[in-house]
Amino acid sequence: MDVSMMFSVSHKTAFVVDHCPYMAESSRQMVECDMLTKSRGQGVIPLAPVSKSLWTCAVECSMEYCRILYDVYPTRKLVHYIVSDSEFHSLNSWRQEDQSTQELMAALASVGPPNPREDPECCSVLHGLVAAVESLCAITQYQHEARRTLMDVADRVANRGRIICLTNAKSDTHVRMLEDCVSETIQEQNKLAAGSDRLMPIQRCELVLVHIYPQGDDTLVSDRSRKELSSVLSSEVHSVRAGRHLASKLNILVQQHFDLASTTITNIPMKEEQHANTSANYDVELLHHRDAHLEFIKSGDLHMAGSTSRDSGLKETVTLKWCTPRTNNVELHYCTGAYRISPVDVNSRPSSCLTNFLLNGRSVLLEQPRKSGSKVISHMLSSHGGEIFLHVLNSTRSTLEDPPSISEGCGGRVTDYRITDFGEFMRENRLTPFSEGVLDASGRTSSERAKAQLERHTRYWPMIISQTTIFNMQAVVPLANLIVKESLSEEDVLTCQKTVFNLVDMERKNDPLPISTVGSRGKGPKRDEQYRIMWNELETLVKAHVGSSERHQRVLECISACRSKPPEEEERKKRGRKREDKEDKAEKNGKDADEKAWPDSERLKGPQEREKEEQTESEMIKDSPDSPEPLNKKPRLMSEEIQPPQKSKGPVSLLTMWTNRITATSRKHEVFAGRLNSVNNKAELYQHLKEDNGMDLHENGKATR
Amino acid sequence: MPTVVLMDSSLSMTRPVSQEGSEEFQRKNLAVHGLTMLFEHMATNYKLEFTSLVAFSSLWELMVPFTRDYNTLQEALSNLEDYDKTCLESALHGVSNIVQQEWGSTCPCQVVLVTDGALGIGRGSLRHSLHTLKQRVEDKKFPLPFPFPAKMFIMCIANVEELQSTDAMDNLEQLIGLNGGEGQIFTMEGPLCLKSVQSMFGKLIDQAYTPFYAVLHCGNLASDVQVFPRPEPVLVDEEVDPIPKAVQTEVDEVGAGTTEDAEEEPSANQMAGKSPNFCVLLHGSLKVEGMVALVQLGPEWYGMLYSQADSKKKSNLMMSLFEPGPEPLPWLGKISQLGPISDAAENPYGEDDSKSPFPLQPKNKRSYAQNVTVWIKANGLQTDVQKILRNARKLPEKTQTFYKELNRLRKAALAFGFWELLKGVAELLERECTLLPDSAHPDAAFQLSHAAQQLKLASTGDSQYSAFNHNITPLHTDFSGGGAGDRM
Repeated sequence: MDVSMMFSVSHKTAFVVDHCPYMAESSRQMVECDMLTKSRGQGVIPLAPVSKSLWTCAVECSMEYCRILYDVYPTRKLVHYIVSDSEFHSLNSWRQEDQSTQELMAALASVGPPNPREDPECCSVLHGLVAAVESLCAITQYQHEARRTLMDVADRVANRGRIICLTNAKSDTHVRMLEDCVSETIQEQNKLAAGSDRLMPIQRCELVLVHIYPQGDDTLVSDRSRKELSSVLSSEVHSVRAGRHLASKLNILVQQHFDLASTTITNIPMKEEQHANTSANYDVELLHHRDAHLEFIKSGDLHMAGSTSRDSGLKETVTLKWCTPRTNNVELHYCTGAYRISPVDVNSRPSSCLTNFLLNGRSVLLEQPRKSGSKVISHMLSSHGGEIFLHVLNSTRSTLEDPPSISEGCGGRVTDYRITDFGEFMRENRLTPFSEGVLDASGRTSSERAKAQLERHTRYWPMIISQTTIFNMQAVVPLANLIVKESLSEEDVLTCQKTVFNLVDMERKNDPLPISTVGSRGKGPKRDEQYRIMWNELETLVKAHVGSSERHQRVLECISACRSKPPEEEERKKRGRKREDKEDKAEKNGKDADEKAWPDSERLKGPQEREKEEQTESEMIKDSPDSPEPLNKKPRLMSEEIQPPQKSKGPVSLLTMWTNRITATSRKHEVFAGRLNSVNNKAELYQHLKEDNGMDLHENGKATR
Repeated sequence: MPTVVLMDSSLSMTRPVSQEGSEEFQRKNLAVHGLTMLFEHMATNYKLEFTSLVAFSSLWELMVPFTRDYNTLQEALSNLEDYDKTCLESALHGVSNIVQQEWGSTCPCQVVLVTDGALGIGRGSLRHSLHTLKQRVEDKKFPLPFPFPAKMFIMCIANVEELQSTDAMDNLEQLIGLNGGEGQIFTMEGPLCLKSVQSMFGKLIDQAYTPFYAVLHCGNLASDVQVFPRPEPVLVDEEVDPIPKAVQTEVDEVGAGTTEDAEEEPSANQMAGKSPNFCVLLHGSLKVEGMVALVQLGPEWYGMLYSQADSKKKSNLMMSLFEPGPEPLPWLGKISQLGPISDAAENPYGEDDSKSPFPLQPKNKRSYAQNVTVWIKANGLQTDVQKILRNARKLPEKTQTFYKELNRLRKAALAFGFWELLKGVAELLERECTLLPDSAHPDAAFQLSHAAQQLKLASTGDSQYSAFNHNITPLHTDFSGGGAGDRM
């Protein structure tokens, strides 16, 4: 198992770049930048080639190192850039916000090239090396967070780092002196750090000294591979000519330091710049984490897979062939990993053509060249959110092949799952990113709120159509959507109540209900039984949310008051069969009468208004065998002294019951201030609303207490 | 994960075991009995896993390639013949090749070696292999550790005392050691009989072949599930977080997201009937809506559930495990920061599902998305200078592009301390100025000498002119053609 360390040496990289006067010396690598003139002829004197200074070479190669690093690791791999002359200049810090090449470029511009006239005696790269060691002792935000979360085992958080020093050394002895200085400084700083909460002793430091010398000169410093100088410090020396040798050296180093590997995409078809109608094939080299080659490395296939050594002979690249993407290519591949990439030649034309193609949302499958000639797709390039990733595809047989159908498993034979409803449920429960650290009133993170919402939405959620009546009824939708909310507004309560009244209305009209007949013989339950089932289910749904708020409670009260209740079993027996004839008649009569008494326009009226009309209606309803019994389930709400005024007259109507309950409940509560101040039992609500739009709302206001 | 059963078919396996009754057993019979038990267990609880059977003596032979058909395996097992001496090294090479050819080198495997602990004599014996470990040349290396992640279980049809009386036990322990300590040696307790072989294979089953049962929760909806292949614990960070992360058996669905490797299917040996199952509902809706569901497997460990269809009509619920961590997919951001859309001011997916809050854009653009300047290779620098010159010849029409390219070059030259280039380009511009044809717009000459002068000033390092964020702006001229419209 490949085990990683969060705080390995590569967590912190301190760059120390020599800014002493001798770095202003020319690298003697000439760049001809007056290319067009030659073709023009006509006796124009071309501009003399320019040459970069050692400083310019060091800076641009270190920037290239950082560019690749930040492309592949946008976080957690930090660079502290230090420049050294008569003192050290810190160009950034370990902070994540400081980690960008633009920031560094701006800081470098303010430093400028070394001043050749500065006194060489005062200048040294040592100032920078000392600052780098000090800086490695400083805690990064990631180390800080890890220590905070691991309180009791905070000592497990390691502190390691690497110093890359780009300088021009005088001799091997000079190099020894630099190494000794780093070693001594580490000892001193570790003593300091041991006694400090804000510093951490360095457990491991890798010093990479790169000696840069002008082209044509002989080097005064010898190369030396890594050597342990102490239990904490190791050091290696690279002696490199300025210019492209330095560039390829730092390219190799960044790969070694950050476990990168190289892939060359070959056979990329691209239109020629000069001749738009011709196309040639190009290669683009990408760097990425070496795990993207794991399959090749492990199987020892690296060479078989088209790996070639290039340039310096040190660098290996795996060649993969571009497969021209088909449109609408929705082939599914098992992806076993995705790794960020960085092009080696970022602004060459082939590179930018490839990256722009990918950034525009296209994907490219990559084929592994094999001796046998069989075509194996092993990788895919694709971008997500402006970042390009190399995806590793499983190119061998998958252990997941030929899975059984889900219908062969448990519950697979059930055919009436509420697939569409659950799809809607999922869409309502989709996730979206919120900004960091947003907590709600009860201190829940965004994802905890998402889970809480799932919990609420599933308190009552029948999985199959034949298990539910209410979720098959359009009329219930407004209530069902609202009741799952964490809190309800007055308006929501009103909407729920209206839904209930609408159902009462349907019952009066004897509208058929979508009751499942599955499992029952014949026509299924009788209509009154259907409504009883429906009301029970609705109560179950609302009861599941009754604890959420007082307003949820009020919705339940409304249902309990309005719903039809089954007569007592004994009563049913006593009535016997002769009742049934009556029922049928009542059903017919009731339907006609209902249509007169409850025209559509009246449906949305509040209960208080209905109460007035109800006086006449109650006569029609009181014969109904399903007139509800007084509710006794919630004693808290029933007040002994409150007797329905109509009780002596026999069965009461639904709405009278409702009104009585409202009155009863209201006595349990503190009386609404508006009611206390009311004139003729009328108080003005939403007075400010009235100011705004001038509408008189007091009639409705009363109904929505 | 796939299993290779490596069965010792050497002659020593035919040794009779000392007797307890009428029937006489060979060690081989006991081995077959134990493997039968393993196959039966897998056929019931592990039927989606692949198993292959390799028999070996001085040679090895793939008896049954990887299959889910346990009858075939059983049949091959009963028809095993007896061969000559034990030669484990070549057999392990065989296992390594078989696995790599079939599954590549990243798929974890289990190897069950069944042997009597008589590990051969002389050349080809395990003892000889281990003695010569350090004298190997590159292409004759010992097959362990395998190139793929592997656990090696050694089932000895022998008891400890017998193995310890020779160096067999030491050699086997060394073998496990060579496999990075991944694996275990099982021996028989008490007399060699059917009962003790059952008990030994029972321990193997408990250790390596327990089915992974879990409960998938979505709020109050839940379903018992079995996961194939069994998700194995992962070690995230050996220092800070040295405890392997194991998938919790209570799996929480966090929510549905928009649009790697485990398969999940509802346990088949439940009351297989017509009672509805949440997995089937979830699968159906994920398939119809083309959505995936985010699933939490433990603290800061997530995965996703989706409907996976094969080429035929069959589809099933699949679970892909992400790498453990708070932010497994960078384009989703931190999972803990994903909240319900009902908390957002407006639906981030749009009322008609036309939008998506994903993918999240990174704070800093990557180098390939931001037109960086790199002059490591000469042609990078040459291209940039040519761009400026090309636009210089088309002034004043190309005033905007000319200054844009000029400023890009200026910024990079200042950052790299490449003042010589600024002077050089200034000279080039001055020369262009002298080469302007008579027909050229008078503004061109003014802009060229203005730009050249500005570059020269910047190359002095004078802080007034060499500020990185300063841009050279076009000279404001009063010519009718150029002027205000072209100003940056």
